[in-house]
Amino acid sequence: MSRPISITLEIRAGDKGDAIACRACGHAIAPAGTPWKRHAAVREISMNGAGGRAYTGAPESLLRQFSCPGCGALLDSEMALPGEPFLDDLVRA
Amino acid sequence: MDPITFSIIRHRLFRIVDEAVITLKHVSGSAITNEGHDLMVSLYRADGSLLMGGVGFLHHLTSAAEACKAIIRRFAGQIHEDDVYLLNDPYTAALHTSDIYLVAPIHHEGKLVAWSACFVHVYDIGAMNPGGFSPDSQDIYTEGISSPGIKLVDRGELRQDVLDTLLNMVRSPEMVSLDMRSMIACNNVAKDRMQALIRKYGYPTVDEACATLIEQSEKLLRARLAELPDGQWQSRQYMDVKGETAKVCLTMTKKGESLVFDFTGSSPQSKYSINCTKWASLGGLFAPLFPLLCYDITWNEGVIRPITMIAPEGTIVNCTRPAPVSVATVGAIQSVNNAACATIGKMLAASEKYRKEATAVWHANHFAVFMFGRNQRGGQAIGILTETFAGAGGARTFADGVDVGGEIPNPISRMANVETMESTFPLRYLFRRRRVDSGGPGKYRGGLGMEIALTPHDAPDGGLHYVVSGKGSKYSMSEGLAGGYPGAPNRYIWVHNDEVDPKRNVDPSFALSLEEMPGRQEDISWGVFPLMNKDALYVAWNGGGGFGDPLDRDPEQVRTDVACRFISAEAARDVYGVAIGPATGAPDLAATKALRARLRNARIQRSAAE
Repeated sequence: MSRPISITLEIRAGDKGDAIACRACGHAIAPAGTPWKRHAAVREISMNGAGGRAYTGAPESLLRQFSCPGCGALLDSEMALPGEPFLDDLVRA
Repeated sequence: MDPITFSIIRHRLFRIVDEAVITLKHVSGSAITNEGHDLMVSLYRADGSLLMGGVGFLHHLTSAAEACKAIIRRFAGQIHEDDVYLLNDPYTAALHTSDIYLVAPIHHEGKLVAWSACFVHVYDIGAMNPGGFSPDSQDIYTEGISSPGIKLVDRGELRQDVLDTLLNMVRSPEMVSLDMRSMIACNNVAKDRMQALIRKYGYPTVDEACATLIEQSEKLLRARLAELPDGQWQSRQYMDVKGETAKVCLTMTKKGESLVFDFTGSSPQSKYSINCTKWASLGGLFAPLFPLLCYDITWNEGVIRPITMIAPEGTIVNCTRPAPVSVATVGAIQSVNNAACATIGKMLAASEKYRKEATAVWHANHFAVFMFGRNQRGGQAIGILTETFAGAGGARTFADGVDVGGEIPNPISRMANVETMESTFPLRYLFRRRRVDSGGPGKYRGGLGMEIALTPHDAPDGGLHYVVSGKGSKYSMSEGLAGGYPGAPNRYIWVHNDEVDPKRNVDPSFALSLEEMPGRQEDISWGVFPLMNKDALYVAWNGGGGFGDPLDRDPEQVRTDVACRFISAEAARDVYGVAIGPATGAPDLAATKALRARLRNARIQRSAAE
């Protein structure tokens, strides 16, 4: 039993209760209703050059990529300066 | 009321706005209005509430409503048939001083029954810098004429003393006069057609239809919101100005049939003119909301009712007097628009039913470059590079963003032909084309932005000058969706041709790229600069945000992108994980599969190591 909450995530029932899971592989990432990004595989790369040769901006600006720890599918990305909190998106059940 | 009559009146209201827009364009003489479509016309109820939002810059629909209400308050008891009022004070209702509102009451049998309102970005407003965007201004007092409301036409008679006073304070008064007359004509047409509608159907019927239309819009939007999931979505925008970074933070909360946009956490107001007032922020968030959530709902007061905005006073999204705001439309307003587009996009993407309506962010690094100086005919020319409107579309959940697709807040924006610009200014375009790698990578790529290069040509003074209000070169701002990358940032480069060293004094006229241009390159972004002799100005701007994982993009599409010079071979390999055979130019599917597996694995491994 699962219910999508974004393009890449769904709520999936499990033994330990509902969990936010990867829609690509079903890997449970975080308890439902909690901020999930801290439980994802997080990678921060400089925006400078991140998307190709036109990415000539400030080296300190970061592209944060949140991926599924199970399959490596890219779940979300955001721009941030170092130390900024994660953007917290929450879909209520 | 019977549905046929209601429907006819609704469509007549649409047509009134359309015809008024055509009038505005026919009378106005500036490319920013005629070709860029930096304009707006809408109809309002007798109390100033929005009745029929028109096309053009959607930021203005709600602000012009506030302008009507401000005029009603200020001129209570003195509003007469055939009056026209001018208002452009940003702390009363306007977005910035150069976007002048002319609002006109519409009477029927002596009774005030409606208002029409329009704006154009006037040729000049008398600010420190020509053209209205005034990056050198550090307060509202130096941003030109600013009126909280003045009567320009009294019972059908132009107040020449008022007009002459205004024209006495601007550059190129003959062009500003034409702007004013285009707006008067526009309001006259709106008034005539509205009165004809009332004569045909009777005031009670038209009034009932207008009230019903507003109720209908509210009902439809509330029903749509009820279908969307409850939740909270966040966005963050960075803006760079002269080494300083400001941010706009948004938390959008949807509960039941209502939406709250909370900008708490945004930066304090800036000493630079990227700030915006609260009316401008309200307009900024509605600009994407109208097309994304109300694409089949009439844009009026009914759409506004379910929406709440929280914008803390003293911040960059609700600045206090005398903070400067002349660059607001490409500054904080644009960032409010971008953030709202991002959060609405995420909310739509969370719904199976509305997923196809979601979009990544469009043209977020919006900029403005105004040229000014003596032109090839000896006259003074001031005007925007209309390429500012040639943004790139954000990717959708089913397709790439549209290359050079325009922008969300102005569905009819466009850029002028090169020939228009070259006939207006003593300039030659060296190139104008899509910019490689500018679209945010994703399963569906963001639309591409552009790059242009300009050099003086046939200039009696050897060239001209330009005003750059160019935030957006430091940070990508067109957010991606569902993992898609943001679009590339902007670049503004002054190419200095060295007149002293003859070996380096090379005519740039035949340069086909930035790399081929002779001379020293200097990154610029804010202020007034010369474009003289054999120097050149290079401007490149952002693409739209991407959608989804670039490693999921069809390798054949990546091959096409490389072949068409939409993306580089390096991006194809490193970002999209597509191995293209050097001999065939075709994707090596086995190698691509292996490369993508390695890149996916690296995401997990690298994260674990960190």
